[in-house]
Amino acid sequence: MSSPSSLDELIEALRALPSVGPKSAQRMAYHLLQRDQRGAGRLARALAHALEVLRHCERCNTFSETDICQRCANPQRDHSLLCVVEMPADLAMMEQTQLYNGLYYVLMGRLSPLDGIGPRELRLDKLLARASDGAVKEVILATNFTNEGEATAHVIAELLAARGVRVSRLSRGVPVGGELEHTDSGTIAQALVERRAL
Amino acid sequence: MSQKQRVDQQPGFVLHTHPWRETSLIVEVFSRDHGRVAVVAKGARRPMSALRGVIMAFQPLLLDWSGGGEMKTLVRAERCGGQPLLAGRALMCGYYLNELLVRLTAREDPHAALFDAYARAIATLGRGEPQEPVLRRFELALLRELGYGIGLASDSDSGAPLDPRADYVYIIERGPVPLPEDAGDLPATSGQTLLDMERDDFSRPETLVQSKTLLRMLINHYLGGQILQSRRVLKELLEL
Repeated sequence: MSSPSSLDELIEALRALPSVGPKSAQRMAYHLLQRDQRGAGRLARALAHALEVLRHCERCNTFSETDICQRCANPQRDHSLLCVVEMPADLAMMEQTQLYNGLYYVLMGRLSPLDGIGPRELRLDKLLARASDGAVKEVILATNFTNEGEATAHVIAELLAARGVRVSRLSRGVPVGGELEHTDSGTIAQALVERRAL
Repeated sequence: MSQKQRVDQQPGFVLHTHPWRETSLIVEVFSRDHGRVAVVAKGARRPMSALRGVIMAFQPLLLDWSGGGEMKTLVRAERCGGQPLLAGRALMCGYYLNELLVRLTAREDPHAALFDAYARAIATLGRGEPQEPVLRRFELALLRELGYGIGLASDSDSGAPLDPRADYVYIIERGPVPLPEDAGDLPATSGQTLLDMERDDFSRPETLVQSKTLLRMLINHYLGGQILQSRRVLKELLEL
């Protein structure tokens, strides 16, 4: 009982999505073809269009339809501040604060020595070139507070410091509105280590 | 072999994690009494998971898991004791130690003494002490604990005690022999260095330099051609 090859091909193609195995891919294919053909058409067109027009912004490395994205081209933003984040989702979170008016650089990943993801895989040379363009006065490292994020921050900090760029790191500690009683001990321990004078 | 077993309150460290399915993690753990085990941390990648901030490398943990197959199921994980997070170069050294354990130890082969050596190394790195002696001590402890019998006290040809002022060549799986006249570019190690290593004394700069070369040669041999990614990444960083 073999299924049509176009169906097989669709199922196989859906497996390109992260954590989608053969079973889930099959379920998605049947759903799109049987229950939501309009949605399937939209998905197909949106994917084809995005593939065609999206590229990485030359300055911030995030997805953009133009060589330089709108944010990087905006003269209202502070071009002397450059915030380094791991993923576009992190950039969106920083924007939600409505407190930061500088520019960004999106790494599209993080250093992970055990997985063999090093400076070459992360294209750190591109960030170094971006940060030493003369306009950038301070680089704010907003990589995650995981070991990999910390390693990434450390490496970038060393490389930029060697080039005379001022580097800072997001601070960490007890969350806003947090009560010590309900905060995990790791966060409190780190907040104690990094306490500041008043 | 495959009967259900439950392990409670086992001291351990996370060596490495891989994402698994939508919200879970496969965690490579180095535990004191069960050696290196792989556990699934179900839901550990959900935003509100209690495991999220706990499953971190370089932190002493107490772990409960169950299951008899190669892949266990993590039941609980909690921090035990306040180890400061590794930062900067110490963090890169930590990755190197983790990779050595992942590549050179076998699954479920307990090495309590090696576990203690690892815990000490991580604690010392966390205190920001010089890193080179920590790495050398751990490398030596690892090779010895894995049963590679690294003899550092006597000439493996004659059995005579080492002369601190003489130079030796370390022959893999045999031990130090006096440096031959026609040694060419064989790396020479002084008797003093070998004796210092035997006594766990890495205070002499020459001991640090020579023991690094010697231990690297031995580790590369036992890696059998596997490339250490953490070492490659560090090398690439120095080239930037």
